[in-house]
Amino acid sequence: MLDFKLSKPTAEPEPAETFHIPEPADGIYDLIILGGGPSGMTAAIYAGRAAIKTLVLAGSMPGGQMSNTDTVENFPGFPDSVKGAELAMLFQRQAERFGARFALETVTAVDFSKRPFTIRTDMREYKARTVIVATGAVPRLMGVPGEKTFFGRGVSTCATCDAFFYRGKKVVVVGGGDSALDEGIVLTRFADQVTIIHRRDELRATKIYQERAKANPKINFMLDSVVDEVLGDKTVTGVRVRNVKTGETTVVDTDGVFVYIGMIPKTEMFKGQLELDEWGYISSDENQNTCVPGVFVSGDVQDPYYRQVVVAAGTGAIAAMEAEKFLGEYPELDGPEQLLYCPDPEK
Amino acid sequence: MPILDDDVRAEVEKFLEQVEKPVKLVVFTQEFECDYCLETRSLVEEVAELSEHLTAEVYDFVADEAKAEELGIDKIPAIAIIGEQDYGVRFYGIPSGYEFSSFLHTIHLVSEGKSELSDAALAALAELTEPVHMQVFVTPTCPYCPQAVVLAHQMAIASPMVRGDMVEAMEFPQLSVKYQVMGVPRTVINETVHIEGAAPESMVLAKVQEALTGAAG
Repeated sequence: MLDFKLSKPTAEPEPAETFHIPEPADGIYDLIILGGGPSGMTAAIYAGRAAIKTLVLAGSMPGGQMSNTDTVENFPGFPDSVKGAELAMLFQRQAERFGARFALETVTAVDFSKRPFTIRTDMREYKARTVIVATGAVPRLMGVPGEKTFFGRGVSTCATCDAFFYRGKKVVVVGGGDSALDEGIVLTRFADQVTIIHRRDELRATKIYQERAKANPKINFMLDSVVDEVLGDKTVTGVRVRNVKTGETTVVDTDGVFVYIGMIPKTEMFKGQLELDEWGYISSDENQNTCVPGVFVSGDVQDPYYRQVVVAAGTGAIAAMEAEKFLGEYPELDGPEQLLYCPDPEK
Repeated sequence: MPILDDDVRAEVEKFLEQVEKPVKLVVFTQEFECDYCLETRSLVEEVAELSEHLTAEVYDFVADEAKAEELGIDKIPAIAIIGEQDYGVRFYGIPSGYEFSSFLHTIHLVSEGKSELSDAALAALAELTEPVHMQVFVTPTCPYCPQAVVLAHQMAIASPMVRGDMVEAMEFPQLSVKYQVMGVPRTVINETVHIEGAAPESMVLAKVQEALTGAAG
């Protein structure tokens, strides 16, 4: 377990192979990327190579969801798989090599109604000619009684972080997708028993995960089942589980509840500024344009379907190339003003 | 055998070029070295070698009791990071995994004697009249944790009233039980108030106020 990761910006790389871009003199960045996951960092690599003055507001966790994924097996170029945390570090190192600046600040508000665009973080305010929104998604919670009460005291959405606390204990994992099964397998390294609770009669996860989970003697399944309540005293003691076919309710004793039932896009701060679909995802055209010219979107925040590192990276690259094109067409602080609105801004 | 391999050593050395003022890394271990005490001491000694401005000091928790008391060290392995003054910045347990970056980041901040907090936060911290003890529980595999650790350390640097500890939960299971740590990061403020997860600066400050007013009332 003793490894030493350097996930922070380390140092200026060798001058021969780096492109150092200073903080803009007028305080206005050419491009600000909101989000430091695979999509934001890929956009930063492309923008840096195009010599665009780029700032990445990476939020609290550079690498995004990638960082709390144990192992990534399907990112091309890593035939023996790669730790999510390590992949995140490699993305960041590559972006920094091309001069992107990173700030571990969380965006709290934006103003896309006039140029340059304004971005406010928990610490300060920034101005930018173009913006790429790559804020990603956060774990969805079940919304049942007890879940919030016991969050951090038995309820978790990060097996990588918290598995250790369940050595020799019993846990349940809620969900039936890749994350649920993969993290369920991670939990068996510590926990004695892992029960996977899934609402349908078959799992949604990729076959390879299903086979591994089914072959693991510590894992058992409760299908057609949902959690109605998280029970506990000071910490979690159990979950009330309902069979959706029979309606029968049982209490399952458990010390921990790991929730992997999908994601919610982080778009609260864009309401009234960008067009969102009914699920909260940002709408865009095939070139990653949002309804505000100069504001682009990439990654999971606009992707309800695939949610893969490689796809997020791909749309990040497109967004950066489109931003470069936009900056070429509107080198001054202008832009197509007449289009600076979104359909149904009240929505 | 060295703790850091050559690649990491080279990267750390580059990073430490930013450190331009003296910083002491004071490590506490004991003769019969505890779990990870040996590794923590080796890590500190190896890192200190990589910058002319860093020095490692090694103390025995038992034999050098007076020194431990002076620095408020109550468990080992422990590292106190001391710059121009002792800001109250501590690491309990080995800073490995993600916490290695917290360790380096904190060394840099201590060398400057300056936090990167917002003006509003600095103003709020300047008002503090009572001691604030922040213990941030972490695991080395937690990507959210460094933010919470570095924030606590920055608050310690910014205010003489604040002490900031990283506590590696796996090495101090009795404290994990005491403070009911079942998820990380978990920040315990003055024993009474706690924060789950990596909270933004403003929320942490509000929790500090809560801890202080709770104590007063």
